Amino acid sequence: MPAPLEERRPPITPQLAVRVAVLGGFAFVLFAIVFFRLWFLQVLSGDDYVTQAAQNKVRKLRIEAPRGDIVDRSGEAVLVRTRQAPVVQILPDALPESERTLAADYGALTSAAERRRLAAAARLDDLERTRKRTKQRLTKAERRERKVLAKAAAQADKVPMPPMPEDPAVADLFKRLGRVIDMSAQAIHRRVIREVAQTPYAAVTVKVDISRAAYNYLEERHEDFPGIRAETQYLREYPFGDLGAHLFGTLREISPDELGESEYKGVDQGTRIGKDGVEETYDNYLRGQPGYERQVVDAMGNPCRTCKQPGSTDPDQGRRLRLTLDFGLQKAAQAATERGVAAAAANGSQAGAFVAMNPDNGEVYALGSFPSFDANVFAKPLSQEKFDALNSESTGKPLYNRAIAGVYPTGSTFKPVTATAALESGALGLSERIFDDGEYKLGPQTFRNAKNASYGSIDISDAMKVSSDVFFYTLGERLHELEGQVLQTWAKRLGVGRRTGIDIPGEFAGLVPDADWRNKGYAKYLTCVKKNKLGVGTQAALPVCGGIERPYSTGDNVNLSVGQGDLQATPLQMAVAYSTLANGGKVVTPHLGKRVEDGNGKLIQELRFPPRKRVQIGDATRKTVLEGLRRAAMEPGGTSYEVMKDFGAGEYTIYGKTGTVERIYQPDQSWYVAYVPHETRPIVVVVTIEKGGFGAETAAPAARLILAKWFGQNEDEFRAGRSDD
Amino acid sequence: MAATRTRRTPISPASEPPAPMVPREFRLRLDPLLLLAVVGLVVCSVIAIKGATADDIEGQPLYYVYRQAGYGVIGLAVMYALSRMDYSRLRDLRHPLYGVMIASILLVFALGSAARGSKRWIELPFFRFQPSELGKLLLVVAVSAFIVERMRRPGRDTTARVMLLALLPAMLVMAQPDLGTSLVYVVGTLALLFVAGTPWRHFAALGALGAVAVALSLVALPAVGVQVLQPYQTDRLTSFLHPSDVSGEEGYQQQQSKVAIGSGEKIGRGVEGATQTRLDFLPEHHTDFIFAVIGETYGFAGAALVLSLYALLIWRGLHILTMAKNLYGALIAGGITVMLLFQIFVNVGMTVGIMPITGVPAPLLSYGGSSLLVTFLAVGLLQSISARSREVAANKGRAAF
Repeated sequence: MPAPLEERRPPITPQLAVRVAVLGGFAFVLFAIVFFRLWFLQVLSGDDYVTQAAQNKVRKLRIEAPRGDIVDRSGEAVLVRTRQAPVVQILPDALPESERTLAADYGALTSAAERRRLAAAARLDDLERTRKRTKQRLTKAERRERKVLAKAAAQADKVPMPPMPEDPAVADLFKRLGRVIDMSAQAIHRRVIREVAQTPYAAVTVKVDISRAAYNYLEERHEDFPGIRAETQYLREYPFGDLGAHLFGTLREISPDELGESEYKGVDQGTRIGKDGVEETYDNYLRGQPGYERQVVDAMGNPCRTCKQPGSTDPDQGRRLRLTLDFGLQKAAQAATERGVAAAAANGSQAGAFVAMNPDNGEVYALGSFPSFDANVFAKPLSQEKFDALNSESTGKPLYNRAIAGVYPTGSTFKPVTATAALESGALGLSERIFDDGEYKLGPQTFRNAKNASYGSIDISDAMKVSSDVFFYTLGERLHELEGQVLQTWAKRLGVGRRTGIDIPGEFAGLVPDADWRNKGYAKYLTCVKKNKLGVGTQAALPVCGGIERPYSTGDNVNLSVGQGDLQATPLQMAVAYSTLANGGKVVTPHLGKRVEDGNGKLIQELRFPPRKRVQIGDATRKTVLEGLRRAAMEPGGTSYEVMKDFGAGEYTIYGKTGTVERIYQPDQSWYVAYVPHETRPIVVVVTIEKGGFGAETAAPAARLILAKWFGQNEDEFRAGRSDD
Repeated sequence: MAATRTRRTPISPASEPPAPMVPREFRLRLDPLLLLAVVGLVVCSVIAIKGATADDIEGQPLYYVYRQAGYGVIGLAVMYALSRMDYSRLRDLRHPLYGVMIASILLVFALGSAARGSKRWIELPFFRFQPSELGKLLLVVAVSAFIVERMRRPGRDTTARVMLLALLPAMLVMAQPDLGTSLVYVVGTLALLFVAGTPWRHFAALGALGAVAVALSLVALPAVGVQVLQPYQTDRLTSFLHPSDVSGEEGYQQQQSKVAIGSGEKIGRGVEGATQTRLDFLPEHHTDFIFAVIGETYGFAGAALVLSLYALLIWRGLHILTMAKNLYGALIAGGITVMLLFQIFVNVGMTVGIMPITGVPAPLLSYGGSSLLVTFLAVGLLQSISARSREVAANKGRAAF
């Protein structure tokens, strides 16, 4: 029985064979086409495609993290915050070739100039060392060379700014942009050239805080402004303007050198970091973590459309920094210092400084310098003229933080240091009396009390109260006779003439003049005078060889004992020295950083500043010195009694010392240092007013205003005293 | 009685074939070369997917690898099971199979999920099922059965009916819209007609009709406001005609694919060096453009190996077509083989820039459960056809191959 049709195996008919052959041939042709195509792509033109593939890149776009806020000790006053501002940026990549070439040339010339400067500096260094080693006098030619080198090493040659390129595309673009953001095309060109030369790949911020209208206009007309983008950028904002302006510092882009430093590990190029102030010290907390967007761009520079963006992370705002600063006190202190300066306006006073600090732990409640400036000016690009104005003598150098970098003789405010040294070294007995007849003779010289006063037979406490110079001159002489520069040692022990270690950069060490320093300087002076064939001690030698015209002598020690002469100390150092006396020997580290918090004020890290060291001060000595200070402020006849009397209805004990620095060719400088013990709110206040006259005239009243604010005394009177020291 | 007993030695004729090494019952009745091609391609697929998708899902570099390997294992089992079945029984199921195909494609419109604007999938637990993929196979099986039924009455009538049977699902799939798959339907059906012996003039007529249809849908109907193809489909079809214009999305993708393959050069750039793949310049790198991944990562050597495996697959398909024990088997084998050939050429041609972008996956290579399992089913049918033919040949004492 035959199988049903469909079950029978059909013979391969010739027709089917042909058709299968056709299919097979067709398949063969298709495979052959693909094979040859592959051969063509991969073997014959593979190199081209390798190049093209290499031009496809991933661009890692950094998303800036907003910096953390800076708040005062209560956490309520936000002193520094971050805001978003509309800015206009130009992407260098998208600029016309001609402009980029100009920028590159300019950059090459500037760096060549800088290299020449460095080479000159190195050569100069070399020359000096050779001269020192061989101890030979320089020939005339060598001297001339040194002069040329010194000039070349001091400043790099100025590279002229290239004019706008001929390319009409550039001029047109800048002109149109300039019209939108109200800037001249030339100004845009200059900024672009300078910035591109510095950081060739970073976007150039042309202007910040552009108007909303300009922002929207640019946003909507991308095609008309190739390579120009309107963005928002984080800017620092200082709601209180000049309040604490000296403390915060500014921001600027990280430099290539800093990128290599371990402190800035993991920080990307283009990140803005803190420069100066707490912004610099606590940069790693404030900085935050940038986010990243990986943008894939193809050989033509277009963002890849099909690619997803793996590894995109959101930025993380920086930590909040809480300062030890007391907002109210800082404000009051700035106002008080300004009033102090104003009170001495007749003397031509322009400047002053203040420090208010906890003597037990070094927490700085207020610190600043007058004149101040609006911190907001540094949040935006600043013109050279504006910057120069902030540094100029005529405006009183507002940028200069006199509280930590102003070094002055301190006048009589130094006397407690001398007293401590004398009592501790045994140069003076605790109740020993010295007769003050108003005159003190040392060799041919006669030193006198201020206003030629004489106080008769007095002990150390009396001497502090009335600020008897003669008494302290005697101590200065006695201390000079002891072995080992006792006065200088004590000054340094208590924190004068050395950096206090405050947590902001820019502090000056100052100087406690000692025999070693003066004798070395004098040796230099002598060689200099001899070389220049001038007379020792003559007016002609002064500008050439400096003022160290004699070796160290008793007179220097006598001068130092009352804080005059070569002493150079900052207001902050005086605050530390008085704190050491007040707290019984802890040399505290003054600091502004209190703690690091998250955005909601939750504690992340407490900042700790242990005292730098402990000094052994005898209890009797300390008590005697403090008693003298107390009587100076609280007893009738004390130098600042007039200013301090009735403070807080006698509720507070004030230890205070006036100081008046005699300056050559200048009005006296006024100082006041006060210490008020308190169970929870002890405070040391230092105020100095340049050209402020006597201590009681300007500095002490300002200090009283600061204390009044601190202890909640509602008073606003500037109580100038007439005491003569 | 015992003395008369003579010792008999068993007759062992010289012509007796040696005993089989493996007992017949235990033999996998599979075509070994076809199996080699299939397994080889799946292995290549898994390797390529591993390199291409390592960064795709954070923390799960092997997500796609495990899934594809899993589908591969399931697919092999399904293929083996199907190869043990007699495909001829499917003839009687032609009506329900055709019905299931149409229904499942329609189901997509009801509850399908969309990807990039086209609805192709039905969400199942653990799996996204793409009915149009399975439809390819169902169409071949069902239409082949219709053709066999009408074999006694060949003629224009038969050709027209068969084409209508194919065009119905093809139009539905095109409306999803999935132009590539609907073309596969049409090409598969043409292959069935071809193998069935349809006269050449019928093909000429179909060709003419097709040309008119294309002209209508691309030029005439849009002119009067009826959109047959989505604009992006027109873009895809025409963009490869202007290879230098990479401004459009399609031209851009194809350019990146060519760069990927070309930069692979002779021996490839390795997984780490394959920037086109790793940095996502290559779109859809584990699905439609996986051949470009292989081209970039393993170079001409790797791409040629894969192509050779494909060639092996097609050769075995055509071979099985000639060996089939009945017309039904021959038709199915022809339909499957040509469909595979079409998909291979369209997909690979797309990656090397000689065919337009149509979204046709590379059989056995592209990531995707539906496509992989359906291809395994198709290969299982081929194996079944091969096994039946060998059975018959063994019964008739003919060499199986």
